[in-house]
Amino acid sequence: MLSSVCRAVVSKTSHQLRSICRSAAVASDKSFVHRDSPDNNPDTPFQFTPENLKRCETIIANYPKGHEAAACLPLLDLAQRQNDNWLPISAMHKVAEMLKMPRMRVYEVATFYTMFNREPVGKYFIQICTTTPCMLGGVGSDVILDAIRENIGIDVGHTTDDKMFTLAEVECLGACVNAPMVQINDDYYEDLTVEDMHKILNDLKKGVKPKAGPQSGQNHRFASEPKTGLTALSEPPTGPGFGVRADL
Amino acid sequence: MATPRIVQQGVKQVKPLMSVDRTEARRRVLNLYKAWYRQIPYVVKDFYLPITVKMGRDKVRELFLKNKHVTDIRNIDMLVIKGQMDLVETANIWKQRNHVMMFFKDTVNPKPTDFLSKFYEGQE
Amino acid sequence: MLRLWPVRQLSRIQNALGLTQTAFKSSQPAPAPDLVEVFIDDKQVFVEPGTTVLQACATAGVEIPRFCYHDRLSIAGNCRMCLVEVEKSAKPIASCAMPVMKGMKVKTDSPLTRKAREGVMEFLLVNHPLDCPICDQGGECDLQDQSMAFGSDRSRFTDNAFTGKRAVEDKNIGPLIKTIMTRCIHCTRCIRFASEVAGVDDLGTSGRGTEMQVGTYVEKMFKSELSGNVIDLCPVGALTSKPYAFTTRPWETRRIESIDVMDAVGSNIVVSMRTNEVMRILPRLNEDINEEWISDKTRFAYDGLKRQRLTTPFVRNSKGDLIPTDWETAFFDIADRVKNIVPSSIAGIAGCHTDLETLVCLKDMVNRLGSELLCTEESFPMINSGTDFRSNYVMNTTIAGIEESDLVFLVGTNPRLEGSLVNARIRKSWVHNEMCVFALGAPVDLSYDYQYLGDSFSVLKDIADGTHVLAKALAEAEKPMIILGSDALQKSDSNLILDTVRSIAKNAKKASKHPDWKVFNVLHRNASQVGALDMGYQPGVDILKCNKPNLVFLVGADAGKLTEDDILGNSGVIYIGSHGDAGAQMADVVLPGAAYTEKDAMYVNTEGRAQIGRQAVSPPGMARHDWKIIRALSEILGVTLPYDKLSDVRSRLAEISPTFDRPGRAEETGFEDISDNVVIDKMAVKGTEAPVAPVLLKLRDFYMTDPISRASPTMAKCVQAYDESEKNPYSRPEAS
Repeated sequence: MLSSVCRAVVSKTSHQLRSICRSAAVASDKSFVHRDSPDNNPDTPFQFTPENLKRCETIIANYPKGHEAAACLPLLDLAQRQNDNWLPISAMHKVAEMLKMPRMRVYEVATFYTMFNREPVGKYFIQICTTTPCMLGGVGSDVILDAIRENIGIDVGHTTDDKMFTLAEVECLGACVNAPMVQINDDYYEDLTVEDMHKILNDLKKGVKPKAGPQSGQNHRFASEPKTGLTALSEPPTGPGFGVRADL
Repeated sequence: MATPRIVQQGVKQVKPLMSVDRTEARRRVLNLYKAWYRQIPYVVKDFYLPITVKMGRDKVRELFLKNKHVTDIRNIDMLVIKGQMDLVETANIWKQRNHVMMFFKDTVNPKPTDFLSKFYEGQE
Repeated sequence: MLRLWPVRQLSRIQNALGLTQTAFKSSQPAPAPDLVEVFIDDKQVFVEPGTTVLQACATAGVEIPRFCYHDRLSIAGNCRMCLVEVEKSAKPIASCAMPVMKGMKVKTDSPLTRKAREGVMEFLLVNHPLDCPICDQGGECDLQDQSMAFGSDRSRFTDNAFTGKRAVEDKNIGPLIKTIMTRCIHCTRCIRFASEVAGVDDLGTSGRGTEMQVGTYVEKMFKSELSGNVIDLCPVGALTSKPYAFTTRPWETRRIESIDVMDAVGSNIVVSMRTNEVMRILPRLNEDINEEWISDKTRFAYDGLKRQRLTTPFVRNSKGDLIPTDWETAFFDIADRVKNIVPSSIAGIAGCHTDLETLVCLKDMVNRLGSELLCTEESFPMINSGTDFRSNYVMNTTIAGIEESDLVFLVGTNPRLEGSLVNARIRKSWVHNEMCVFALGAPVDLSYDYQYLGDSFSVLKDIADGTHVLAKALAEAEKPMIILGSDALQKSDSNLILDTVRSIAKNAKKASKHPDWKVFNVLHRNASQVGALDMGYQPGVDILKCNKPNLVFLVGADAGKLTEDDILGNSGVIYIGSHGDAGAQMADVVLPGAAYTEKDAMYVNTEGRAQIGRQAVSPPGMARHDWKIIRALSEILGVTLPYDKLSDVRSRLAEISPTFDRPGRAEETGFEDISDNVVIDKMAVKGTEAPVAPVLLKLRDFYMTDPISRASPTMAKCVQAYDESEKNPYSRPEAS
C-alpha cells in the first residue's frame, strides 16, 4: 500500500521534473569534419612508394578511360596500408590528384567507409565486435573486452602510450558463427576465450604473430563446422563439369 | 397692373436668415466676438493650450477680421451661425485640443502643378 | 502545394458528376503514337517515354511533395517525400526517380500514399530542430509547408530528454551563406547545384548514417560566383543568407519585380522591400536569361544601396570643397556655367548603370543645347559600319541560343565574371550537349574544360586566315558561336581584334549549314551599354580627347576612365548619379540620382533585350530620378524637354527604336550581311597586335566592379574572405 503511494508520488514528481538539456549523444566516436592537427594536415608528407605507385597504375588501368574515379577505394586502401594503417588528409589529396577527382569526392569516400582510419592508430588496431551474436556466443564479447582492457590498460577508442595498440568497438564483422571474435589489423581471431585473448595480446607485445582464425573456444576447429562433425559437404568438392551433359 | 408687378419683382426682398438689416447683423457679430473674447481664458485653461490668452484673443480678432469684406447680410448671418457653433463646440469641450489648435494652423501652400515645382518639392 | 488540394477535390467531384471529360471518353485527343499512357488518380495522361512519374503527375495537374527533386538538377531520390502508390507495386515508389511505364496507375492521394508521406515527414522531423521561430526560412520553408499539408498532427518523438535530437556542427563557408547544419535534411540539392551548375565541387556529404553531414569536410570558403543560389535551393533553413539574417520575415516584405544592372546580362530579380529599404534580392524565373539563378553580386550587393549615397546636391566652392546645397542653387550654378561657353562644347558621358530614360533625356538635352558630344564610358571599336547595325554589338544568338550551339569560341572574355549567367549557360551546354569550348585570352577557371589558345593576337589572325585548327573546327561545327568580350576591346588598339573576329565569324557563317544562325556575339559588361549604343551614343570617351569639351555631364560615369588632365582639363564637370564614387569626386556640381531599385527604368541587356525594372523604394533624401533631374535642368537651361511624365519618355523611346517599345523581347538582329560588307576604309583598321586579354581574372575581381558593389560591405567582406582563403591550403586550386 505504502509502496504504491510512494510509486505514485515518485511518478507524479518525475513527470513534473524537467530533465536538464544536454547535447545530443553521438552515434560515432569519429568526427566527420576534418581538423588540422600536428600529425594530420595538408602538409603531412605523403608520397606513394615506387612499388605502390606501380600498383596504383595497375589498379587504375583496370578501369576504362574516363572512369579513373572507380579506383578511389583501392588507392585509398593502398595509401592506408603504406601509411601505418591510417589515412592522412594529404594522402586523400594525393589520391584525388592521381584520379583527377575533386577532393571533396575523395573525402566523401574516405569518411563513408569505416575501415579507413582518418586518425593515427597503434601498430595493432584491435576491433572487437560487440554486436548481439558476439555478445551472446561463446564466453561473450563482454568478458573479452574486459580482458583486453585489463591486458593493455586502455579503454575503447584509445591508443596505448607506446602506440602499439588501438582498441575500437565495432558492429558485426560477419563471423557470428565463431563468436566472440576480434579483428587485429587484417586478421580475425575467433572462438575466443579470456586466455586466448591474453595470449594473443602478449604474443603481439613480444613481437610474435599469433595464429589467426578460430582459437580454443571450440577446440581449435578448422573453420565454422559444428561440434559434432560435418553433416553436409563432407566430401571433397566436385570438379568442373560435374553433372553436366557429356555432349556439352 | 403689369407695372407694379415688375417693380415688385425688382425690389423683392430675399428672406432674411436672422437679421433684417445691417445694424442687427453688426450687433450679432459683435455679440459673438464678445462671447468668444470672454470664453478664451477658459478655452486656454480647459484645453491646456500651449498659447497665452492674448494669443488666443489675437487669433479670434484675426479670424473675425479675415471676413471683414463680407457685406451681404445673409452671408454675415451664416458666418455668425458657424462661429456660434464653433463656440458651443469649444465651450462644451466637444472639440478636442487639436481641433482648437487647428485655428493656429499654418497656411497650406497649394500643391505644385508644373514639372519644375513638383521636382523641387520632390513629388511624383 | 496547399492550394492544390481543393482544386483536386473539385476536379474529382466534377469527374464524379460527369461534368468534365473523363478519361475514358472518346473525345480525348488522339495521342501521338510514341507517347506512353499513364493514369494519375484515374485521369489519363499521355507523356513522353522516359518522363518520371512525378513529371507525369505534374502534367495531370497534381503536384507531388518533394524535397530533393529539383527541375534543374540531377535526380537524387533520397528524401523519399515523393512516394506514391502505384497499382500492382508492392511498395510505394519514389516518383521523382521512377520512369513511367505503359498503363501505370498512380494514386497520389490514396491512404497508402498519405501514410507513406506522413511517415517520411515524421522521420525528417525527428532529426529536425523545432526552431522555426528563430529560423530565417520560417514562412518560406518547404518543410514547414509540407508538414502542414502532409505531416501528422502529433509526434511520437518523445526522446528529447535522453538522446536528444541530432545536432550537427555549423560550417563556415564564407561571408555570404550562413549554415545551421542541424536543420539540414540531406536533400543534397546544394551539393548537386555546386557540382552541376556552379562547377565547383566543394560541397559533399561526409560520414554515413545518422552522422552524415553536408559540408566541405575541411574548413574552406565555398568559392563560386553563383554560391548564393544554394540559399534558394535549400528547402529548409540550413543554408540562409548571412547579410539577410534576422532582418525580415517573408510575409512582411513587398516583392517588386525588377531587373539587375550589375552586369549586362539583365537578370530578372525580385526586390524584397520593407520600410522603404531593400531587404534582399531574389532571382525571378526567366528561361531566356537567367533561368532561376542569379550571381552573388546581383544578390548581395544591395547593401551598397545604403552606403556612400548622395542625398543632396553639392556645388564646389572657390576653395575647392563640395558644399551641400539645394536643387535650385545647383541648377542655377549649372545655368551660369552653360551661359558662358560655346554650346557645341558640352558633352555627356553615360556610365554603367544608366537607364534608357536618362539616356534619352541626356541626349535630347545636350542635342538641344547644340552639341553632339555624347558617349558611353565603355569603349567599342568604331570600324566599318561601327555601331550603325545592331548585329555588330549585341549577343546575336541570345543567351538561350547557347544551348543550341555545339562550339563556343571565347575571345578576350572571362564570362564567368563578366556575365555569370552566360557562363552558367555555357557550362550547362558543355555538360549536357557535349559542346566544345575554345578560349583566347587568359587561362582562367571557367568551371568547365576548354582548349586554351593563348593570348596572342597572331592566333586570331591564323584562324581568320584558315591556317589554325580552330578554323577547320569552326567550319565543321553545326552552330558555332564566337563570344567577344567587351573587356578585350577597351584598349585603343582593339580595332584590329574586332575586325579579325568579325572576319572569322563571317567565314564560319559562310560555312555553316544553318543560314539563320548568327555566329558573332558580343558580351558586354555594362547594363547601359547596348541601350546607349542603340540610342546613338558614341562608344568610348576617345572622341572627347580630340574635342576638348568645356562642360561635361557625367551620368553615373564612375569607372575612372576620365582623368582631370586628360579630358576634363579646364572644363566644368556635372555629375548625376547615386553614389559618391570616382565621378562625384571630380565634379563641380553633384546632383543626387536614384539607384536601380529606386526608379522605374528600362535597361537593354547584352542580347539587345529591353526590360523594365520597377521602383521598389524611394530615392533617399533629396535624390531624384535621374531623368527628372535632366528634365528639370533642361527647363532651367531654356531647352525644356517635351516630356513631363514617365509615359511621355517611354513614347519618346518608342520613337527611337521599336525594341524599346517591346520590353522582354530580344528582337532578332538583321542586316548582318550588309554590315559585314560595309568596308568604309580597310586601311583605317589599324592597331598594334597586342595580346587579347580580359581584365577580370580571379573571383576576387568579380565582387567590386561598379559604384554599388564598391559601396557594399558584403562585397568587401567577400574580397576579404577571398584573400583569406588564398592562405588556406584547402582552397588552393585542385589539379584536375
